[in-house]
Amino acid sequence: MKKILAVLLVFVMVFSMAACGGGGEEGEGTIKIGWVGSITGDQAVFGTCESNTIKMLIDQKNAEGGLLGRQLEFVGYDVKGDVNETINATKRLVSQDKVAGIIGPNASNLAIAMAGVLTETKTAGIATVATNTKVTINDNGELNPYSYRVCFIDPYQGSVAASWAVDELGYDTAAILYDISSDYAQGFRQYFVEYFEANGGKIVADESHNSGDTDFRAQLTNIKEANPDCILIPGFYKEVALMAKQARDLGINATLIGGDGWQSETLNEMGGKAIEGSYVVNHLDDNDPAVQPLKELYKATYGEDATVELNAYMGHDAFELLCAAIEKAGTDDPEAVAAAMTEVTVEGLTGTIKMSPEDHNPDGKEAAIQMYEYDEATGLAAPVFVKKYSPAN
Amino acid sequence: MSVFLQQLINGLSLGSIYALMAVGYSLVYSILNFSNFAHGSVIMLGAYFGFFAMTLLPLPFVGALVIAALGCGIVAIIVERVAYKPLRKRNAPGLYFIIAAMGGSIFLENLVIATIGPTFKTYPEIFKSTAFTIGSVSINKLDLIMFLIASVSLLILVFILEKTKIGLAIRASSYSSRGATLMGVNVDRVVLVIFLIGGVLAGLAGMMFGIRFTVYPTIGVITNKSFIAAVFGGLGSLPGAVIGSVILGLVETFAAGYVASNWRDFIAFALLIFVLVIKPSGLMGKITEDKA
Repeated sequence: MKKILAVLLVFVMVFSMAACGGGGEEGEGTIKIGWVGSITGDQAVFGTCESNTIKMLIDQKNAEGGLLGRQLEFVGYDVKGDVNETINATKRLVSQDKVAGIIGPNASNLAIAMAGVLTETKTAGIATVATNTKVTINDNGELNPYSYRVCFIDPYQGSVAASWAVDELGYDTAAILYDISSDYAQGFRQYFVEYFEANGGKIVADESHNSGDTDFRAQLTNIKEANPDCILIPGFYKEVALMAKQARDLGINATLIGGDGWQSETLNEMGGKAIEGSYVVNHLDDNDPAVQPLKELYKATYGEDATVELNAYMGHDAFELLCAAIEKAGTDDPEAVAAAMTEVTVEGLTGTIKMSPEDHNPDGKEAAIQMYEYDEATGLAAPVFVKKYSPAN
Repeated sequence: MSVFLQQLINGLSLGSIYALMAVGYSLVYSILNFSNFAHGSVIMLGAYFGFFAMTLLPLPFVGALVIAALGCGIVAIIVERVAYKPLRKRNAPGLYFIIAAMGGSIFLENLVIATIGPTFKTYPEIFKSTAFTIGSVSINKLDLIMFLIASVSLLILVFILEKTKIGLAIRASSYSSRGATLMGVNVDRVVLVIFLIGGVLAGLAGMMFGIRFTVYPTIGVITNKSFIAAVFGGLGSLPGAVIGSVILGLVETFAAGYVASNWRDFIAFALLIFVLVIKPSGLMGKITEDKA
């Protein structure tokens, strides 16, 4: 038995070596685009949509003649939402498949896990929807030199929201009601305050609550007394709905402003009339005319029932960024491609993408501003696309 | 001044929610000397009973309130029969009751998560506009109704306890269930009535809470606060539960309003610890045994 096993192992080793050798020679022919993501597991919806999009875009690009006169080839691995699988897949993409760069993953924890390998192998990775700050900046506050992303980080929503309030809506005063135990809310609030105050606004009430609270009337009574033009609620849908209702009960008419934590069918139902006229900052609006062609192409390729997630648009922008970097570098050498990453500017579907050399986040990227409209007949509120917007200053 | 009045109203409204919940804890404690932590989950079920009565049947507000009250009364009795009666028969120590209560609470909570789901539900609108203003102070109609329901049901409870035969039996059992048995009181029936009353109050509290805020499987967590209010007022004492609840509601609101919202729980609980250090039985409690 042991002998058979040994013989088998030898075969496996020989074949894998052969596979390696073959891969290396082929590299001259096509430019390989690496992808890491989860096609199985609880992130399957996002990963499937993302890899499908990139395959579709590669086919499209090849039909147009490819890049640098060469055809593109998709090499992707399913990492099942697992950190170790991500590290292995990244190593394999770099050392065996010799990709020009890697797109993905969707999740922040995987993108963070991948950063070490990318740095070691000097290959650029472009995360799609990984919004955690630490994806590009490590715990010591240093830049992960080969990690990039096309989405903006969570707190950036604060700057966009503040600019929208002070520059676009012309508000002078704002109140804040946020969850003191939430990282997301803290970062959001901090960016909001910095921008709002630097541009002539004044924070007249800064109230907090604990997670799980349901009664916010004490804080809202203080906010009412301060009489702000708008109230920033950087929270999640349940709190938002309760706060909005209680605020309206107390006779507060200030505009409510929030972020992507609001996005939920539940809020539309629970908030109803109370959130009418509120503004939220989001990564993207599905009804933005700019994203319709990709949506249609996706449905034409994968069937009418295929759902198009945010990942499709982010994946598209990551792919365009990688292609632009390859073109700029004039080669598919990963290190040269990575070096070109901060030098190109891409008009993406989700906004203009220009990698900041300091933090590898998209610099001054537009966010989608949505406004809630209330339908008297159904009793539901729904976000409606207003425009793409980036902080004015 | 108007801010002060508004905060006073906010605090009273919060306090009356706590009171409706806290009385259920005190009632069971007065007879069985243990804290019925399953009460929180029964309150949660009350919110769901009312919600489904209003959306699926659909019943008007009062009809749904009756369904919620009766439904919770029955659930509370089932919990007593299944989880506590076997323990009572064996004269098990109080700790076992608490563990059984926690088990019951986790069971009910997960039953709801598994069958109905963890998402939030909202009651349909009962009034077109929910608040009215006097001067610059706004009062929520639901708060008024809740205050009324709490007052009326607590008055009825006092009437039952003071003027009826079963009330006499309950009071006798709360002094000494053994002595009451010797005097010919059927303590088993007394316990049943206690759980029925506790359940009905839980149903009312749950539905009012659900209308005021929202319905979700872990509502029960909020009732921790009302349990603390009951301890604060003196577990086992009904007036204590009400007074403790109102004080907790006011302290929380004023701490959040005048100090800082992130200091709210700190101040409220510091006060609780202070009171318990000075008077371990709580504000109006008579019994000084363990309050677990």
